[in-house]
Amino acid sequence: MSNKQGGKPGGGAKGKKGAAKGKAGDEKREDVLQAVVLVDSFEDRFKPFTTEKPRCLLPLANVPLIEHTLEFLASNGVQEVFIYCGAHSEAIETFINESRRWSPGSILSPFSSLEFIRVSDATSVGDFMRDLDSRGVIAGDFILVHGDVVSNIELEGALAKHRARREANRDACMTMVLTSAGTRPHPIKTAQVIKPVFVICNETNRCVHYQEMNPLTPKERLRIDYSLLEICTDTEIRSDLIDAQIDICTPEVLALWSESFDYELPRKNFLSGVIKDWELNGKLIYAEVMKEGYAVRASNLALYERVSRDVLNRRVLPFAPDSNLSTDQTYKWIHAGRFYSENGVLIDRTAKVTRSALGADTNIGAGSTIERSIIGRSCVIGKDVKIKDSYIWDDAVIGDGTVVERSILANSATVGSNCHIPKGSLLSFGVQIADGKRLDSEPIPRISLLDDDGNPAKTDPSVVGEGGRGALYHESVDEDSDDEDQQHDPAVLQRTLFYSLEGMNISADSVSTFASEDSSESDDEEFIGAGSHGEEFGATRQRLSSFTSIDSNTGASDAEAFHADAVHGLVDALQGDDSGDFDSAKLEFMGLRLANNASDSMMRRAIAVAFATRASELLTPEHGGLTPAEAAKKALFSKNGALKFIKEVGVGEETGEQSEFALALQKALLGVKGLEATRAGTLLAALLQQLYSEDVLEEDGILAWWADARSSEGDGLNKIKDKCLVLVEWLENAEEDSDDDEDDEDSD
Amino acid sequence: MAPVSTHTPTLQKLLKSLRDQDLETSIEGLIFLLKRRQVRGDQCANATAHILLQVVAKSKWQSVDRLLELVTSAGSRLVQAAPHEPVIGNIVRRVLGLIRDEASEDRNADELSESVSDLQSLAPVAPPPTSAPARPGPTPITRSLTMPAAGLQVSKSMFNLLSVVDTLDSYSTGASTPVSLAQNNSVHALKSEIIDGIGEIIDEVNQADDQIAGFADIHIYPGDYILAVLPSPAVERYLIKAASRRRFTVLVASPHSQGSGAEQYSALRKKLTSAGVKMISLSTTGLMAYMPKVSKVIFGAKAVFQNGGMLVDSGCCLAARAAQEYSKPVIVLCGVYKFCPQDTATHISWTQLENPSSYVGYDDGETVDTIDIENTLAEYLPPEFVDVYVTNLGPQTQDHLGSIMADHYKPEEMSVQLGA
Repeated sequence: MSNKQGGKPGGGAKGKKGAAKGKAGDEKREDVLQAVVLVDSFEDRFKPFTTEKPRCLLPLANVPLIEHTLEFLASNGVQEVFIYCGAHSEAIETFINESRRWSPGSILSPFSSLEFIRVSDATSVGDFMRDLDSRGVIAGDFILVHGDVVSNIELEGALAKHRARREANRDACMTMVLTSAGTRPHPIKTAQVIKPVFVICNETNRCVHYQEMNPLTPKERLRIDYSLLEICTDTEIRSDLIDAQIDICTPEVLALWSESFDYELPRKNFLSGVIKDWELNGKLIYAEVMKEGYAVRASNLALYERVSRDVLNRRVLPFAPDSNLSTDQTYKWIHAGRFYSENGVLIDRTAKVTRSALGADTNIGAGSTIERSIIGRSCVIGKDVKIKDSYIWDDAVIGDGTVVERSILANSATVGSNCHIPKGSLLSFGVQIADGKRLDSEPIPRISLLDDDGNPAKTDPSVVGEGGRGALYHESVDEDSDDEDQQHDPAVLQRTLFYSLEGMNISADSVSTFASEDSSESDDEEFIGAGSHGEEFGATRQRLSSFTSIDSNTGASDAEAFHADAVHGLVDALQGDDSGDFDSAKLEFMGLRLANNASDSMMRRAIAVAFATRASELLTPEHGGLTPAEAAKKALFSKNGALKFIKEVGVGEETGEQSEFALALQKALLGVKGLEATRAGTLLAALLQQLYSEDVLEEDGILAWWADARSSEGDGLNKIKDKCLVLVEWLENAEEDSDDDEDDEDSD
Repeated sequence: MAPVSTHTPTLQKLLKSLRDQDLETSIEGLIFLLKRRQVRGDQCANATAHILLQVVAKSKWQSVDRLLELVTSAGSRLVQAAPHEPVIGNIVRRVLGLIRDEASEDRNADELSESVSDLQSLAPVAPPPTSAPARPGPTPITRSLTMPAAGLQVSKSMFNLLSVVDTLDSYSTGASTPVSLAQNNSVHALKSEIIDGIGEIIDEVNQADDQIAGFADIHIYPGDYILAVLPSPAVERYLIKAASRRRFTVLVASPHSQGSGAEQYSALRKKLTSAGVKMISLSTTGLMAYMPKVSKVIFGAKAVFQNGGMLVDSGCCLAARAAQEYSKPVIVLCGVYKFCPQDTATHISWTQLENPSSYVGYDDGETVDTIDIENTLAEYLPPEFVDVYVTNLGPQTQDHLGSIMADHYKPEEMSVQLGA
């Protein structure tokens, strides 16, 4: 572009000299860009295929997955590559070393170096990262990707921004490269099963929260650390992002991995861990949302299907079959038929191929239809075959009249004549289906020659027909994982080409044991006391007006969680049969308070609810059917230290606080289910009297409550309050009495 | 380009590293840049010429035949890497033609100098490359733009052509002739002449846009309303040049789906506005409505074929048809290096498909799976829609295209099969 004005003959040579000088300068400025490719993800989502071949060597659009990843790195100018292999590491090394393009030292290789690193005892990505840290091969910023990412993103901009941030602040240690996919539901989101939610600061692009949602627990809530929202006042909560786990990291990231030996997954453990502990480690993680470009990890079968189709539809250009990025490919776009085909493909005149890709030397018989499928090399497709939305790898044979729908047939799979392969089928390497066999669609057929441990499986003729080879594939189930876990593990959804949530037993949140006590509070919408706490939330709501609902939910849910836990703990302690000490309950309560950063009003409310619950419980026939006075007495006095606890924690010295506590008690009693208002009133009067007589509440406090307008809002509260009239009158009199007494004493 | 240090491989980087690199690495480097579409459009011509220059300079060859073979094979690989970029094939054919011409001249010169040296007992066997006396051969590139002179030289080159074939044959079939010092020297001389020639091709490619812009004031008059469809860099330069002399209005049409039309052409707008020319952006879809007001339609071509038909950016055909409907003149800008000696019929495959995401992407939700989209980057425009071709050799009509083709490509090159 700059050499538009060439000048006289010989200008070319001069230009080159100038260029050479420029290059030397460039080299000083640029450091070599390094990349780390994690090839093993320690998952089994591609079973049964991955029992024989590593995921990264499975063909996507007839090119091994890892070639897509390496090409992506090459197109971004990466110079040095480190590949971490886990399972099947020999196969991967052999593949790379024999590849004309990627083998280190090949003149075609775009990388100046490519190294394999083996870690013998690795069980997670975390082990790889800690190993990498110990090796010290990483000099500067590097790109961390997985060996199954397919992307055409230009990282240039993100890299520059990352560098700028790092120069401004040394603690900016990582930039995640994400793509936006719009707010509507769409196939990638469905296919990735787990929906990542990022909370990103608008101003700085800092990621302040990360959480994974999955369709099996639909009611899960976002729990955001409130203090982070205070730092970043302008945030966006984004669930529309596609995370291909392309990260630009500084070497500090590796140190962080090393510091925490229990981190296993780069997102769920590492990312959320580092964000949560930012006050400790001070490290900041940023997210860069790309406006253009495609980046998806083919990390499960559904995504494999998605990415294959996108490559076929040219959504990942330059990754399209006719770009022939893999060196020996010869794909051409056949305009008339609208499909891609390599050299040597024979298609019968009467066959119909649309929106597909056909590998070299494949034969298609007469009358066959092939739609939106990718077929590998040297496949033989018979006559009148119907193939739709399927992915058929090299050397497969399909007999006459067979129908294949939305399935994957691995290398050398053989299907006889007049078979039916239903949607979702996975036929692994070398499986043979006998003539005329119609596979059952339930359970979804996953057929392999090997079992889960890699041993030859016993052929099951009821599945593959007489003369076929292969058996249904089953995962070996871990003994220690219980059913509950299995049900909530989204991995079950990721093992098939597509999934349906119908018929799955999706429970809402795990059912809380104290739901009965807690539910009484749900009516009580307002937090007691418009103290500092209420104001805080009001402020948040205003600031984050665009997503009020989510935010207030999270805030409220935090408070709810504290309340529920606290009440539950206290009631438990009160119910205890032994007349033991109340100190442990008190300790627990204070711990909860610190953990949740609960305000005074929240504590007051929790204590009031706990005692009100216990007292009203004692009124019921099951617990002895005591009279209100007896119940109040038992609730307050049965445990040593309970009164002291109320006095110190729930009620303060000041009149205001005392009246608040009385109000809390009143509201708590109103909320108790199955308690009539009049009885509740009597109980309240009894409670207040006991508290008064034990000097927990003083008369000023009770009178202040009596005068408080909030105590007589609504019918229910009024009815309860009415019952306390006697007490209040008595108190007022007592005051006078005491005055009288004094007078009396004086007179005496 | 941003001055920030970049890692992304680009053509500039490749060209910088050509000198230190192994030849094969350079060729493969360009092949992958082409495959990844990191080099595209007009850049391809420049890149191809540079790589072929390396082929000539670095590979070992003792005979012209061998050199032709090497260039053809390197050329075919480039063509295969980007079959949708016709300019690559053009440049390869131009270089092949150049080699043949130089070889024939050299042969003639050798014979001449030998006879002279016999008489004068003078040492110089081959003329030093720099003193290559005003070469009689066909070098249409350096020639000034005066057409009569070109015509004259063409006839000469045609004459040479016949003799070349003869001499070449005798040269290559004379297997018994040992490679003498004289031959060795002549190879060196030939090499440097070919390299100079390729340098000239590179200059031609680089200067084409400027030369075309030189004709701007012939076509643009004060008060014109010029409709520029998807202005290419050449068109932009043309308009800016015209703006320096005339006052007119430019309507820039770009496809709606890209949305960023205004943004994309902001540099053009700035330059035009500073020269006092008004620019209006509009969408290609609403083009017809403006047609009555428009006085001329102008766009760039990616390639021009033998019959005058063209490969143009998608959207230009629509504009050309609209213009014909209203009888408005259509001007196409096209450097001579974009002239393709091939027939059009075989090259439907040049309608390269692009990423459909700009029309329907994942933003549109489930729609993604329900619609098949073919987003063609280029389309074929038949010759009858075009009134004037502005080349770097001046404005031409369709009738003269044939002679320009003949100037630049010999029958041998036209028949060369590049690619599969």
